[in-house]
Amino acid sequence: MAKERPPKGLKGWAQGRSLWILQFCTGCGAVELPPVMTSRYDMERFGITPMATPRQADLLLITGYLTVKTLKRVIRSYEQMGEPKYVIGFGSCTVNGGMYWDSYNTIKRLDLYLPVDLYIAGCMPRPEAIIEAFNRLIEGIKQGKFNGWIRYKENLRWYKRNQAMIMDIRKWSIDKKLAEEVWREVQEERRKIFEQATVPHVYEYAERISEVG
Amino acid sequence: MELEKEQAVVNLVKEAFEDAEADVQRARRVRIKIAPNRVFPLVAFLKANGFNHFVTITAVDWIKDGEIELIYHLWSYTRKVHVMVKTRIPRDGGKMPTLKPLFNQAETYERDVHEFFGVYFEGNEKLDRDFILEDWDGPPPMRKDFDTRRFAAEFYGQEDIESDLLKLKIQPYKGKLMQ
Ligand code: SF4
Repeated sequence: MAKERPPKGLKGWAQGRSLWILQFCTGCGAVELPPVMTSRYDMERFGITPMATPRQADLLLITGYLTVKTLKRVIRSYEQMGEPKYVIGFGSCTVNGGMYWDSYNTIKRLDLYLPVDLYIAGCMPRPEAIIEAFNRLIEGIKQGKFNGWIRYKENLRWYKRNQAMIMDIRKWSIDKKLAEEVWREVQEERRKIFEQATVPHVYEYAERISEVG
Repeated sequence: MELEKEQAVVNLVKEAFEDAEADVQRARRVRIKIAPNRVFPLVAFLKANGFNHFVTITAVDWIKDGEIELIYHLWSYTRKVHVMVKTRIPRDGGKMPTLKPLFNQAETYERDVHEFFGVYFEGNEKLDRDFILEDWDGPPPMRKDFDTRRFAAEFYGQEDIESDLLKLKIQPYKGKLMQ
């Protein structure tokens, strides 16, 4: 079977000009989207419009930090989207954890768990930056540059393994057999990490706080 | 006097509960310290005296004292006073009776404190169900001996951010921008 390739040329142009987005309004980023949608920046001039269900959407917007609990739902939604599908990560939280870099319950790098096509840096990116990203996406789709869903399918095991390290993927994956297999594989490693999580800790800052009152 | 309504609450509590330490923190704030087994009767007493808004339960981990402090917040619409009922239980194996018979919403707040601080509330049937942290196998994350930085590094593969950024293979965009 021929290797799957992203649409290009006329098909790519048509695809890029009718992106329907599924905005998974996590984190703070959702507030930047109303200005992008409405008359000031008006993303509909690019054929981009919000869509209600994952099955009708082409573009998944992850608008900020993701807790593990939300990631489960995001993965489920992503897997339900029809191909071709694209992912944009908003803000530094999706790049390296942002200001939640040492939090116990938010993921740090989105591209470990989902294939991200574009990142928008900033905390939070301004609507101009978002429009800029949409432009690049449209241009890139026309040239057949973005192939996130193909990467996801080809490296499914790698993605599943990363996902399984932080969550119970059995309930949230469409491929149940693979999920079961990978889940069993990572159990030992997970147990170790949880065990080590309790270590004696020195709380020097506690004293400093009482000094300043 | 300025703090009249607050002092009235303090006096009311002191009369009925001799073992309670009550004082006025500032306008509209009253603190009451009491032993864990006396919390239920005290909250019942407060409820009967106009404190019918059970706001929330919070907890503080006093790791050096080996204790967890539970703080029950109540508000009275008639008296316009916020009361904090504070009690301390041992960190390990400490138990509190549930306040569900008095206020239904206590059930939810207790589940929250149970998940994040590992406090056991006797009589709360939903305590062991997953609430916010789904399938969490580790220690309660809000306790102070939980090393969140180290946990994040190991669990999410987060290393120091600078080298992490270098490793990300983000393709710079070289095409022409559309206008
Ligand atoms: S990058 Fe900043 S604005 Fe965006 S979700 Fe994270 S903290 Fe919020």
